[in-house]
Amino acid sequence: MLRQRTRVYTAPRHDSIPLAPTIITTMAPRSSHLRSLRRLGLILVTGKGGVGKTTVSTALARRLAEDGARVLLLEMDPRESAHRLLGLPPSGGEVLECGEGLYFQNLQPRRVIDRLVRERIRIGPIVRKVQASPIYEHFVAGCPGLEELVILGAALEQLEPPHARTTPFQVVVLDAPATGHGLALLAAPRLVSEVIEQGPFGRLAGELATFIGNPERCGVVAVTHAQDLAVQETLELCRSLEAEHGRRAELIVANGLYPALTSDASSSSPTARIWSQRRAANLQALERLAAAPAPVLQLPLLPIDDGPRLAAELARAL
Amino acid sequence: MTWIDEAPSLLLVVGSGGVGKTTVAAGAGLRLAEAGHETLVMTFDPSLRLKDTLGVGAAALDQPVAVARSGPGAPLWASLLDARTTFDRLVKTYSQDSATRDCILGNRYYHHLAGGLAGILEYMAVERLFEVYEEGQYQRIVLDTPPTSQALDFLEAPQRIVDFLDSGALRVAMKPWFDDRGRLRASRIPGLGRGLEAWLDRLVGIDLLRDMADFFRAFQPLFDGFRQRALQVQKLLRSKATQFVLVTGPDEARIPDALFFARRLAEGGYPLGPVVINRVHPEYPGQPPWNSDDGASILAWQGARDQRGVAALRSLLGATQTVVLPQLEVEPADLTGLAEISRRL
Ligand SMILES: Nc1ncnc2c1ncn2[C@@H]1O[C@H](COP(=O)(O)OP(=O)(O)OP(=O)(O)O)[C@@H](O)[C@H]1O
Ligand SMILES: [Mg+2]
Repeated sequence: MLRQRTRVYTAPRHDSIPLAPTIITTMAPRSSHLRSLRRLGLILVTGKGGVGKTTVSTALARRLAEDGARVLLLEMDPRESAHRLLGLPPSGGEVLECGEGLYFQNLQPRRVIDRLVRERIRIGPIVRKVQASPIYEHFVAGCPGLEELVILGAALEQLEPPHARTTPFQVVVLDAPATGHGLALLAAPRLVSEVIEQGPFGRLAGELATFIGNPERCGVVAVTHAQDLAVQETLELCRSLEAEHGRRAELIVANGLYPALTSDASSSSPTARIWSQRRAANLQALERLAAAPAPVLQLPLLPIDDGPRLAAELARAL
Repeated sequence: MTWIDEAPSLLLVVGSGGVGKTTVAAGAGLRLAEAGHETLVMTFDPSLRLKDTLGVGAAALDQPVAVARSGPGAPLWASLLDARTTFDRLVKTYSQDSATRDCILGNRYYHHLAGGLAGILEYMAVERLFEVYEEGQYQRIVLDTPPTSQALDFLEAPQRIVDFLDSGALRVAMKPWFDDRGRLRASRIPGLGRGLEAWLDRLVGIDLLRDMADFFRAFQPLFDGFRQRALQVQKLLRSKATQFVLVTGPDEARIPDALFFARRLAEGGYPLGPVVINRVHPEYPGQPPWNSDDGASILAWQGARDQRGVAALRSLLGATQTVVLPQLEVEPADLTGLAEISRRL
């Protein structure tokens, strides 16, 4: 019922919206960002809450698929929102095809763990007994790093399937949780492999730590708003990446930039004042972002409601 | 009289990430202090935003610091919380001797638990709230809840602790699994014999199990205190002394989150105060230039989208009160900016 809306306007074509002026002189041509992302296997998209991680992940996956890669968009947020941007029903955990080379899955670690137990034990009543036991419950909920390993393990499995019969994905775009939890995701394999050295669990952790640690195979995209607090969090993210992981973000996406207000549109009205404030803040924030140790890609704020058209337009702008 | 003039002693500001919880919490604190209630604002915000907005500096990291403000009313205090520090302090409070304490604080499993376990941060927030409430030094306390990966972690944290303490997991963990030389006592589990050690080792590695067992054993004397506390905390959160303030944005992506949260609060018997719809863009004046190519079309789109969102939220929330905070021209970054928020609450 919420989804009912009347489209009384025609949104401008994307190329008619002027991007913010390129203040960042070191910015490489757009296509080179995509090339550097495309050679990666796993792209982890993180950033402050609400800045557009899901939207940018979807646009990016879509763009990479349009350019010819076989791409899986992996969402781990139980609130499921990426499907809307793809014009699909909720995935319910299955891998859904949603266009040439583009696939989508909403993956809940808990569901994967339950499935693993079913596959390992195989005997229905025993599986139910194990899963109903409080020990299982607390092992799963309380075992540090387990959920993170499961998600990363699932991504790795899609990139390097154990069975030759399965077609591998070239790229997995992971719509990761907000900054702090996103960093925890990166750190998990190493932490777990330090504590658990042997066994299947320890081996998986070790394998994932190697995979994550390889800058040729795994990269981080930080999404941000060009706005004070978000930029601060992004710069902190870059510092943690450097200090704790010895790595840099592959790309920073400054999302939702306000374009210039060119029409005379009552420039003294409150709306116009908000506008010029936002835009000034954008420009200032972009200047601060230029100090970050990663290239910055600018994406405009588009007057388009959440949905496939927004993803398509942003994919083109990437 | 608005809701805030009648607010009880505890306000819990909740909502999903990036909607402006910290700002609303600080604004509410300012408003309450101005109205003459001695007020403490507590936040877990890792970006330490509150520190800058209220101008209290890093000193507030350890304990409440008075906010230097002019104007009428009672003192306003701010405190920045850290989950790890709170947890360490809790362990110290409940440990009967220094050996127990050192054993817990030095345990590898504890380091993972205190640092990374989902729900601990959330639990620490309520735990600290309870501590301060019990001390009774402030007339009003406003808690800015931590950004959660799932909005409900926060409410469920105390119950999870109680469940965990009551569950069989603990009894199992508490068994003397290991002998003096640190070897697993396979004979403890009849019928499995020595095969078990190898099996468990293959699964998770024996070291982790050993750490876990040590941790639980050292922790045992503390459990009673913890359990009592968690139950009291739960009662407090559902009592008349508490009110939840739910913050959301007006955009469509936020609405399901807000509704979900509101429903869960109602189902759980938690008292929901107003829903604050933050950063609402004003309606575009005059005829919207829908076809124009520049920023004006976005202004019009944002205004229309936000008005639609506010209307949808109002009708979906039924009798629940809503408070609309406009998108300010200047984002509040100090007390003056905060006053703009505070007077609109
Ligand atoms: N470039 C853009 N132009 C217009 N709207 C956008 C743009 N980017 C994101 N949005 C809108 O912003 C809102 C939040 O985006 P999104 O859900 O992608 O954020 P998120 O970072 O994934 O949030 P969360 O932290 O809650 O997961 C959505 O309504 C989305 O449609
Ligand atoms: Mg998201």
